Amino acid sequence: MKTLMKRFLKAPAWLQRILFYLSILGPGLITASADNDAPGIATYSMAGSTYGYRFLWLVVVITVGEIVIQEMAARMGAVTGKGTADLIRERFGVRVTAFAMLCLLLANVGTTIAQFAGVAAGTELLGVSRYITVPVAALLVGFLVLRGSYDNVEKVLLVLCLAALSYVVTAIMVRPPWGEVLRQAVTPSFSREPNYIFAVLATIGTTITPWGIVYMQASVADKGVELERYRFTRLDVMFGAAWGNVVSAFIVISTAATLFIYGINVETAEQAAMALEPLAGAGARYLFTTGLLGASLLAASVLPLSTAYAICEAFGWERGLDHRSREAPLFYGLYVGIIVLSVIVVLIPGIPLFPIMWLSQAVNAILLPVLLVLVLKLVNSRRVMGDWVNRRWQNILAWALTGLIALVTVVLLTSPLG
Amino acid sequence: MLYVSQMQNRQVWDAWGNSVGRCADVLIGAVDRNFPPVKALLLRGDARDNGDRFIPASCVSSLYPSITLNVPQDKCPAYSPTGDELRLLDRVLDRQIVDTEGRRVVRVNDLQLARVGDQYCLTGVDVGGRGLLRRLGLEGLGQALARLLGRSWKTGVIPWEDVAPLHQEDPLRLRVSHDRIVQLPPADLAAILNDLDHHTSAALMETLSNEMLADALEESPAEVQVAVLSHLEPERAADILEEMDPDEAADLLADLPEQTSEQLLSLMEDDEAAEVRSLLAYPEDSAGGIMTTEFAHAPIGLRAGELLDYLRRSEDARDDEAMYYIYLVDEYHHLRGVISLRDLVMATPDADLTPWIDLDPVTVDPYTPQEEVAYTVAKYDLLAVPVIDPETNALLGIVTVDDAVDTVLPTAWKKRLPRFF
Repeated sequence: MKTLMKRFLKAPAWLQRILFYLSILGPGLITASADNDAPGIATYSMAGSTYGYRFLWLVVVITVGEIVIQEMAARMGAVTGKGTADLIRERFGVRVTAFAMLCLLLANVGTTIAQFAGVAAGTELLGVSRYITVPVAALLVGFLVLRGSYDNVEKVLLVLCLAALSYVVTAIMVRPPWGEVLRQAVTPSFSREPNYIFAVLATIGTTITPWGIVYMQASVADKGVELERYRFTRLDVMFGAAWGNVVSAFIVISTAATLFIYGINVETAEQAAMALEPLAGAGARYLFTTGLLGASLLAASVLPLSTAYAICEAFGWERGLDHRSREAPLFYGLYVGIIVLSVIVVLIPGIPLFPIMWLSQAVNAILLPVLLVLVLKLVNSRRVMGDWVNRRWQNILAWALTGLIALVTVVLLTSPLG
Repeated sequence: MLYVSQMQNRQVWDAWGNSVGRCADVLIGAVDRNFPPVKALLLRGDARDNGDRFIPASCVSSLYPSITLNVPQDKCPAYSPTGDELRLLDRVLDRQIVDTEGRRVVRVNDLQLARVGDQYCLTGVDVGGRGLLRRLGLEGLGQALARLLGRSWKTGVIPWEDVAPLHQEDPLRLRVSHDRIVQLPPADLAAILNDLDHHTSAALMETLSNEMLADALEESPAEVQVAVLSHLEPERAADILEEMDPDEAADLLADLPEQTSEQLLSLMEDDEAAEVRSLLAYPEDSAGGIMTTEFAHAPIGLRAGELLDYLRRSEDARDDEAMYYIYLVDEYHHLRGVISLRDLVMATPDADLTPWIDLDPVTVDPYTPQEEVAYTVAKYDLLAVPVIDPETNALLGIVTVDDAVDTVLPTAWKKRLPRFF
């Protein structure tokens, strides 16, 4: 840590400033970067290339939703000092907790699978077989988290995630019709076509995630934010959420401007990487893979761990890396189990990588209301939150979002092809 | 066995067989006893006569298989809570408690009651899988499975005397817990403080003395130290750092952000802070980073009795936690020889110590890597090795065997774990 910091100190001033900024930014930036993880990039690319700018209004809605919901999670962490699973257990008892944790586990296993699918897609684009890279990535993640200096690795991965910025540059370079873009961003458009509804769900599910809520609350609770200083945390959270979605919007814009207009609907990594060609030319695939790998590895190291932690917290099992595996068998079992299962799924011969990513994100969205309803009940309980309960506008927005997701889910499940 | 989860929301009947309401909570008194008695039930009325009321335990004739009163409903006096009862469903069930026997934080899956004489008492806390399955309505299934596998199924019930419930909102209750928690070994205490949520852990630390926290921190991995210390007010944290061994304090401060460690150092007393600062100048994984500056030393040339007298008056000797060896120095604080405490004690008071003094002791310099220090200690079978400044030849401190072998043991990698977990 110290040696790395010393190396930073020798860096030029502008870089120092960026690195300093990275070092103080907390959970907000991590969850924001995870918005644009592999399934995120896959989903936005699919949406942008298939439906063009028509999807932008949804990104705007989701941005508002994510800001409201992540802020709630952070506030619960700051006020109670406890994790989401902990509060659910204390308030709702064993049955509800078991159901909520099952949903969380399903959603997170799906997303972890999607992260490794991202690793597979990215590295196969460079011609390396997934049968080599995925197990290596899994070992790397496991080793780094259990043994390594995770803090440094996290920073490196966050820097890799900056590759997602290339979408911003690309979008500006290709000169999209900005008037049209802005108009679409504020004009809702609907379609009852199952594919469209599926894309809506996947887009919601990749941005507002059960694990995002749990992770946010846990990290704020763990930092022990003083309530007088909570406004700074809120700023970090809201900025992080907004920033992640700005990048998402640019992914939609650049894929719309480069692929949609030629009628290319992204279904593989090769096609998705083409969106970066105006910027990087032949190097597009390298740029694309860098972004994909950084975000996937970052999410893959946080996800299984926070899932195992939340579940063990809910049921009172020994947890945390300061326990040895013999003391906390369920914690380590869950952690390793999630990773191993994800790797196995991705290595099933012939499994289509991009569709798994979309599917996992749609499943995330479908399971999200379960957690949202519980979180909303908690955050409105004066016994839990004291004076820090939700304001009315926060409730209206959060319930509207929950209702929207539930409605879209019902429409999808009842549609003829769903 | 009777479990509280079986009483939750169960219909309550009076002596005439009329429904009185549902059981919403169970209140126990005398929490510090090993078998606290049930004092009252909280009844939630059926829809028509809304409202909660307390029924004293004296009116209850049985709790299981059904909850019945021994009087008609209108003859039952109201119980007025005295404020020192503990509400089991509201405050204990599903919450975290400290298992002082197993020395860990666990979650309450169920609570066990038993009839002792003429009253019901709380006997134990179910923290096992069986309690969980019972709450899910799957206990029968679990039992069948256990029978199928031919194994007996342990209950996972901890006696009430071995647990410490935790409520930061409730200072009175914390007192009881505190008495049970302070008996834990320091390392376990720190681990428990780390496992608890922020507010509870902060409330618990309020009740602990500085020395106790300092001991606990010294025994903990770096991550736990940082986490625990960050729960404290800076002034208190500085007081605790003063109580710690300077080398441990320096290690801890090195793990904190520079701004925080500077602030804490400025709050510490000057001489303590200076000592820690000098240690901080060395890399964390070198002899200088792990040495302690509190060790027994004495001028060379004293006889056995004089030396023992000298040590009894020496403040440095008093601060030396282990004192395996006495380091003999000249007026320039150069190391001239080492004598083991054993040899010193065995010598007659007026004996010349020269034959027992090792005049050419093995030493390391402050920049020697920790692994090499560990190797040296192991190779020469030492309990501590002196650290010498290579330029001035002054004796700076000593590295004790436990600090030296820290890296070689598997606990060491814990120092580099992510902060969150």
